[in-house]
Amino acid sequence: MENIAFLPIGPEVILLVGAVLVLMSAVALNQGERDWGIIGGIALVVAFFLSWAQWLRLDGLETNFQLAFAARDSNVFSNAMIVMDRFSALAGMLIFLVAFMAMVGNWRLVPRLGKRGAEYVALVLLAAAGLHMMTISSNLILLFMGLETASIALYVIAGFVRVERNSDESALKYFLLGSFASAIFLYGIALVYAGTGSLTIYGSGGIIDFFGTQPVALFDVGVLLTGIALMIVGLAFKISAAPFHQWAPDVYQGAASASVALMSAGVKVAGVAALARVLFAAFPSRIDDWAPLLAVLAVLSIVVGTIGAIGQRDVKRMLAYSGVAHAGFMLTAFVAGGEGMTSVWFYLATYALQLVGAFTVVTLVSGARSGSAPFDDFTGLWQRSPRVALAMGVFMLGMGGIPFFAGFVGKVAVFGSAISANYLWLAIVGMVAAIAGLFFYLRIVVLMFFEAPVMAEAPGTAKAAPRLSGGGGLVVTVCAALTVILGIIPWPLLNLVRNAVL
Amino acid sequence: MFPTLALMVLIPVLGAVVVGLVPKRRSELIFPLALVVSFLPLAVVGYVVWEFEVGQPGYQFTQQVLWYEPWGVSWNVGVDGISLLLLALTAVLFPVSIAASRSIEKNQKMYMVAMLLLETGMLGVFVALDLLLFFVFFEITLVPMYLLIGIWGSGNKVYAAVKFFLYTALGSALMLVGIVWLAVISGTFDFRAMLDIPLTSSQQGWLFLAFGVAFAVKVPIFPFHTWLPDAHTEAPTAGSVLLAGVLLKLGTYGFVRFNLTLFPDAAVRFAPWLAALAVVGIIYGAAVAIVQPDVKRLIAYSSVSHLGFIILGIFAMTSQGLTGGVIQMVNHGLSTGALFLLVGMIYDRRHTRMISDYGGVAKVMPVFAGLFLFSVFASAGLPGLNGFIGEFKILLGSYLRFPAAAVLAATGVILAAVYLLWAYERVFTGPIVHKENEKLFDLNAREVLIIAPLAVLMLFLGVYPKPALDRIEPAVAEVIERIEDATDFTAPEFGMPEDLAGGGE
Repeated sequence: MENIAFLPIGPEVILLVGAVLVLMSAVALNQGERDWGIIGGIALVVAFFLSWAQWLRLDGLETNFQLAFAARDSNVFSNAMIVMDRFSALAGMLIFLVAFMAMVGNWRLVPRLGKRGAEYVALVLLAAAGLHMMTISSNLILLFMGLETASIALYVIAGFVRVERNSDESALKYFLLGSFASAIFLYGIALVYAGTGSLTIYGSGGIIDFFGTQPVALFDVGVLLTGIALMIVGLAFKISAAPFHQWAPDVYQGAASASVALMSAGVKVAGVAALARVLFAAFPSRIDDWAPLLAVLAVLSIVVGTIGAIGQRDVKRMLAYSGVAHAGFMLTAFVAGGEGMTSVWFYLATYALQLVGAFTVVTLVSGARSGSAPFDDFTGLWQRSPRVALAMGVFMLGMGGIPFFAGFVGKVAVFGSAISANYLWLAIVGMVAAIAGLFFYLRIVVLMFFEAPVMAEAPGTAKAAPRLSGGGGLVVTVCAALTVILGIIPWPLLNLVRNAVL
Repeated sequence: MFPTLALMVLIPVLGAVVVGLVPKRRSELIFPLALVVSFLPLAVVGYVVWEFEVGQPGYQFTQQVLWYEPWGVSWNVGVDGISLLLLALTAVLFPVSIAASRSIEKNQKMYMVAMLLLETGMLGVFVALDLLLFFVFFEITLVPMYLLIGIWGSGNKVYAAVKFFLYTALGSALMLVGIVWLAVISGTFDFRAMLDIPLTSSQQGWLFLAFGVAFAVKVPIFPFHTWLPDAHTEAPTAGSVLLAGVLLKLGTYGFVRFNLTLFPDAAVRFAPWLAALAVVGIIYGAAVAIVQPDVKRLIAYSSVSHLGFIILGIFAMTSQGLTGGVIQMVNHGLSTGALFLLVGMIYDRRHTRMISDYGGVAKVMPVFAGLFLFSVFASAGLPGLNGFIGEFKILLGSYLRFPAAAVLAATGVILAAVYLLWAYERVFTGPIVHKENEKLFDLNAREVLIIAPLAVLMLFLGVYPKPALDRIEPAVAEVIERIEDATDFTAPEFGMPEDLAGGGE
């Protein structure tokens, strides 16, 4: 047992070791431009393969690991902190893949940061570790710690690659609002504890099941439901679901493009997974209470995100608002409970790929260190660099949910879940909004393909044609290829994620 | 069994990949390569037509491969008499359109790739027997068409492209919800399995509407038609040909294949409304076509009118009407396709589509004028040419069910003669008013060769439509039988006592 006990927390250990290693060696060597990213990249790759190993290991030894590490089968007051199941393994693979791609996509950023490069890499690793911790926790306090580890690292990252004053503003805004949301989340945990007397995710579920019918002093339904609602609010903030989304456009636009991919896609994966773990594992018996709440959140997110995105003139702000809508689409499947998890996973995985790809294109086109990415940068892109434009077109149509792109299958999946849970109206609202969403995705396509490039006002100021090369080119190509392939043959991924439900 | 249909659907995609890989310095290869590729599906369709067993109801060349069990999604294809003819139409129109696109210079490679992807989508729609598969093909045709209009169109092309895309996508949004809902009810996306699932009357009504709006926008049925004149007019020639020839048929085909068979009860209930809208479309489209100054716009509005006929025939739900509707889909594709091609040819010479810029063209371009007149006659339904067969059968069939509608629709035939012949008169006859037109040269051999197959088919279907009708009728009989089994509706036939006809209302 001893020798394999490392596996469940393996990814975290590797990432923290990597982070410390980078920081230490940066201090010890005291040198400027170095490719600290290599250590970060290696740590993330190892973490990814450890998650994969977890996935494979669970094939036959599932019970062993759960008894050794967590709570599922142990008694409700157990101190188990960590659960290793296929759910967390899949979340790990996704998070580390996203973080890795976000790093590779801006490979040359780290050396350019000089001495601070090492700190940047360490922060990315810490954020990835925190995000993964959110998905492996079977204890609410540990979940909160993972959330905070990731959040604090990301607050710093938001303002780290600073080129404009906007970065400060966006980092501060992110920090203040984020802390507020974390506090709400923590208060929710406290109330759940007050309601159930248990902090373990599987334990509190057991208590609710046990006392579900008879009121006892320990178990107050009102307190419990308030707690659940506050936890949902906290996580809704992190995944930028409306009405807790206001920070997203400003923060995305203010932060350097290079760091937004992790900030958006990584947090979405972890936040949605944590929300699923909490709701499906701890409170499945209260689904009739929280499902309507999520349905409202989903509709609000879809509508607010779509309407908000229509008026934008900046690609990053547009993607932020569309991200709000996509959070809504994912929440749509939540109303089906654990049954909907396959849909959520598929949507989450494909959306994360498209989002990382799209933000990487933004860094290629508008520069990795700049904050804003005005539409003008994309005008006539097809004539300047056809491949980049084609890839961005794939991401836009994919997010828009056009058939033959992965986003379409995701939409069918989540709407199917909602409909089978008797939320037909939710599917209708979502579908109409999805088509309205095409309006702004198509606008990017129109700009890139149908219009001539904006002429530079003075010679020499014209933006150089972005090239699909280096790490960014690789990431964009891989994401675009996967978006198309998973749109045409989504079945392997669907079959895969079907094993990772709670 | 050999996956003939899968091969047919896949060839254009593979061709698109090959064309996409042609290096820049060998760009002269792009056009011949695309042309050759577009002939391959025609060959496969030819084989399917040849091997198709006439008189046998049900689907042939079927193939079903389960893709994802929890959803019941499968690669599920087959052809019956209805889809067979539309497949043939599609397979004929693509080589013709590609041959007519030789003058495209701006990024020819992407143009050809878009054309070939479009062909896959359009062929796929007509063979798909799985609703998700159908939707994928139905919707994917939007993207290449959107690019064709937006990049290679003329005039207000971006507006037309975006309008086309959003209109049709919005229309099909609810169909997707409907499809998923239907799949949740029946546990599968398999169309043939769904036929056995009993639906309540209100479910049928809502699903009929969800599917119906998608198809109505595509057809387009009045008042959903406003995207059509813009898209048809601004699209490049090949785009217009395929829009009118095939894309609109996706809607009418959808009505026949899905709305009538899956929701027969609702279809019987909604039929009078659709017949009424069809008649409005016939007369409105014709009336607006008369006053158009732009030839392409005129033909576009004539499509609104002609498609009204098809819808009227379909929702008459009589054997005659449905058969007429199906064969008229093919006829309209041939004659309107030919007209758009011809307009494109003169546009290449004069770069104007305004009727007032022409006059007396017959003097300098006699062959062109002859072919144009031929297509005009076919479109107006002159006996002996294909349009007559379809319109006659539709009027016959709809008279049995909706006599008033049939009488009103018949005025559409007269109006069609008015707008088409009047336009012909203004463009081709009389003296040459504009000096520029004196130098116009007649069609060359290549251009005649492009029109020739369509002209031959128009004549053939006009004088000897029996082979086509023989294939359509068993499939249509099956649709009507399905409606009669599921409802107390009885399709009226000639010689049937009055009190039996049109029952169930």
